[in-house]
Amino acid sequence: MLTDERRLGVLVALGGGVLLLLWYLAPWAVPHRLFGGEGVLLSPFGHHLPQGSLPPGYRDGWLLWTFYPSLAWLALTLVLAWTPKPARKLYLMGILGLGLFLLTYLLFQASVAQVNAGAERPILRRYALGLGSYATLAYSLYLLLLARLFSPGGLAFLVRRRGVVVPLFSLLLASLLGGVIVAVMKANPGEAKTLREAAMLKLDLITYTYQLLYSPLVNPSGFLQSLLLATPLIFTGLAVALGFRGGLFNIGAPGQLILGGIAAMLVGVYLPGPRWLVLPLAILAAALAGGLWGALPGWLKARFGAHEVINTIMLNYIAASLFLFLISANEYKFFGRTLYLPFKYPGYEARSHEIRPEARILHWTELVAPGGELSFALPLALLLGLLGYFLTRKSLGHRVLMGLLAGVVGYLVGGLLPGPAVNFGPDLTSVRLNGAFLLALLALLFFHFYVFRTVGGYELRAMGLAPKAAEYGGVLSGRKIVLIMFLAGALAGLAATHYVLGGGIDEYRLKQSLPYSVGFDGIAVALMGQNTPLGVGLAAWLFGILLTGGLQVNLQLGISRELVAVLQALIVLFIAAGGFLPRYFTDPLRAAEVELKEESRKREEREETP
Amino acid sequence: MNLDAAFWIALFFSTLRQTTPLLLTALGGMFSERSGVVNIALEGIILFGALTAAVVVERVEHTLGPGPHPWLPWLGVLSAMLVGGLVALVHAVVSIKYRADQIISATAINLLALGAPSLVLTYFYGNATNSKEVANRLPLWGPEGFALSPLVYLAFLLVPLTWWVLFKTPFGLRLRAVGEHPEAADTLGINVYRMRYIGVVLSGVLAGLAGAYLAIGFLNQFVRGMSAGLGFIALAAMIFGKWHPLGILFATLLFGFASALAIQLQGTEILPAVLVQAFPYVVTVLVLAGFMGKSRPPAAVGRPYEK
Repeated sequence: MLTDERRLGVLVALGGGVLLLLWYLAPWAVPHRLFGGEGVLLSPFGHHLPQGSLPPGYRDGWLLWTFYPSLAWLALTLVLAWTPKPARKLYLMGILGLGLFLLTYLLFQASVAQVNAGAERPILRRYALGLGSYATLAYSLYLLLLARLFSPGGLAFLVRRRGVVVPLFSLLLASLLGGVIVAVMKANPGEAKTLREAAMLKLDLITYTYQLLYSPLVNPSGFLQSLLLATPLIFTGLAVALGFRGGLFNIGAPGQLILGGIAAMLVGVYLPGPRWLVLPLAILAAALAGGLWGALPGWLKARFGAHEVINTIMLNYIAASLFLFLISANEYKFFGRTLYLPFKYPGYEARSHEIRPEARILHWTELVAPGGELSFALPLALLLGLLGYFLTRKSLGHRVLMGLLAGVVGYLVGGLLPGPAVNFGPDLTSVRLNGAFLLALLALLFFHFYVFRTVGGYELRAMGLAPKAAEYGGVLSGRKIVLIMFLAGALAGLAATHYVLGGGIDEYRLKQSLPYSVGFDGIAVALMGQNTPLGVGLAAWLFGILLTGGLQVNLQLGISRELVAVLQALIVLFIAAGGFLPRYFTDPLRAAEVELKEESRKREEREETP
Repeated sequence: MNLDAAFWIALFFSTLRQTTPLLLTALGGMFSERSGVVNIALEGIILFGALTAAVVVERVEHTLGPGPHPWLPWLGVLSAMLVGGLVALVHAVVSIKYRADQIISATAINLLALGAPSLVLTYFYGNATNSKEVANRLPLWGPEGFALSPLVYLAFLLVPLTWWVLFKTPFGLRLRAVGEHPEAADTLGINVYRMRYIGVVLSGVLAGLAGAYLAIGFLNQFVRGMSAGLGFIALAAMIFGKWHPLGILFATLLFGFASALAIQLQGTEILPAVLVQAFPYVVTVLVLAGFMGKSRPPAAVGRPYEK
């Protein structure tokens, strides 16, 4: 059995070995890359230059300025890990490593800027650091993590944060496996003369794939697009999460979304009236229809004991049939008689009539800058809303009410203030992000307040943790099941407002291309977000980023966008398995044991050194 | 529209064909649930099986030429069973060894089955929705005009066979014991984990077989989402059939009849096709609501076992 300090030394050495291997095999920087992935790969151990030489005017001398310090840093780290009391020294080395990475980044940017400066169009394009440099960053973080883990109370620190550790670790595992999939599916861009060059190309391909997947983070239109794709995921993620919190598995979000879409379409197309009336009614109709479609399997479970998993899945198929029935044709034969339906818009495509302008949810440009002038309505509403909530010192109901009122006042006052004129480029205005995103944020708030701040939410969580105890404590479990499924369905139904009323699928209509399978993605979102509103919001955004980046991967590398779906599925699988981490990361009782043990050890140490 | 004898005969044979994948899957699901593991991953495993069968047969044809190879479809069937078993093994490891929530772990596999085929299809065929058609489908056995795929006969033969295995052999007794009361079974020296692994993998093998039937028996290619909820309907049939081979036979015949009726009514003026397609799903909901109360699942189903 190794002592803790020995084990730390071994772990540091193992990581160091991997780092050295990556330094040797992977490129450190890619100053230029063609569309499709082939790049100029720089490495201090010898470049891989497909065009025969460095790009004209490019100087690679900077590489040695980071290479030798990096080597010295690694050597020092490996030695220090075996000296007494290594944890604190490793903190220092980790921070030093972060500094080294920053240095590498700056030197590289400078070297590229030197070539591109003065040129009319940039000569070097799609430049980025390579896996070799990122490995330095990763090893630094690894050192910091190890240092925390092996200092007093370190394990308890991680175990207490298991709600973050398990999803992130699962994301990491899924990403590694995804890298293997990419490596298998896609041939190297460019030719390799040696085995090392082949490995370098492969590693670069994987790095580039992930770089593209996360590219929406640094690209304005991609950023908006990721928020657009996150919007329905927030709703469906909440729809699944609410079920999980109440001990129910809602796989019916796709069907509930479809019903929400149908109801929103019916109100939005056929109900005449002013905007302030029709739009809220259309949104409510979507929630109500989705809710009822969700309540149905809830009632079947409460009344007949039929398991909600299979029923919700069956209702998805039934909803899809109903949906096609309404919008794919105008006349149907029933036993020889003809039934006429008014819903389908004339033409080849299966789609409804257009939503009336009064019932549409505004495009983001109209919210941020109506009439081309930046508006203070939303920021002021947010500010006053928060102030109203936090400054009120009364019951929760009062605080929420005050927050809402102050928000409305802020919106009205902010709308009156004149703002500077702004002009967004076509790449930004073409992104169909709309007010449904704000609705999604409100849904996150609703989830938080309902589940964690009300009696109803307390009962819901009690049902999820211990149904029998909850029933004994006075929860009417049958009614509660129906209510939970109704609310979950309503959340999923609201996702349809983004597509139908907000024009999320290119038109303000209910269309056959309605991507209702985002209801299934909600499962991954809920698990990744650990059924908390903040987590669901972040997880939805993460998947929004990956889906947006997936488009780039498809365009540039010809890898199917379904790679993202596979990553999602793997994440779900790994989270279900607790990230393959030790039991105390998944089992609350064992987690408590770990924390107690660490507490008592701390107390002992305190007594020893008065 | 007159419903003559030809209609009823067509309906009868269509029922047999529609029942086959359901029956295979439901019998598989029975092995898994009898051992105490819920396996709603069967839907995804059918897809993986279908994909494997279609791609293996097509790839071999690609190298050997299309000329009739009577053994080739059987190679496809075997590889589909193998892959089905392997995918089920993933579910088994995650839910038995790592004590995952069995429904979530199975859902992950179903999600994987929505995305992964596209990657494979893009790799081999450059499109994300279907494989190339194969020349060597499974043969048809039987008199001219009434011939059926050998897997149809196999599925119906499996009913008495599984009944015998489950109720007349020591293996079946152990499997049921593990699903009813794993602690008691453990004290008697039965390896609970091993029995559960066997049960889950068997279910995967049978679902893979059902997938092969869809891809190279029923059709001659893989089409994205071709299982269309078969795996879930099969589970409903298994519940309706009270986890018993004979009950499952009748339940799957009912669902098969519903699907066959939907197919036979398509193109007629009796009911619109889009609504008729929903028929088997509606039947499933009704059946689960009406009969669930009377059927009792294995006592330990869904619960991870800990020594």
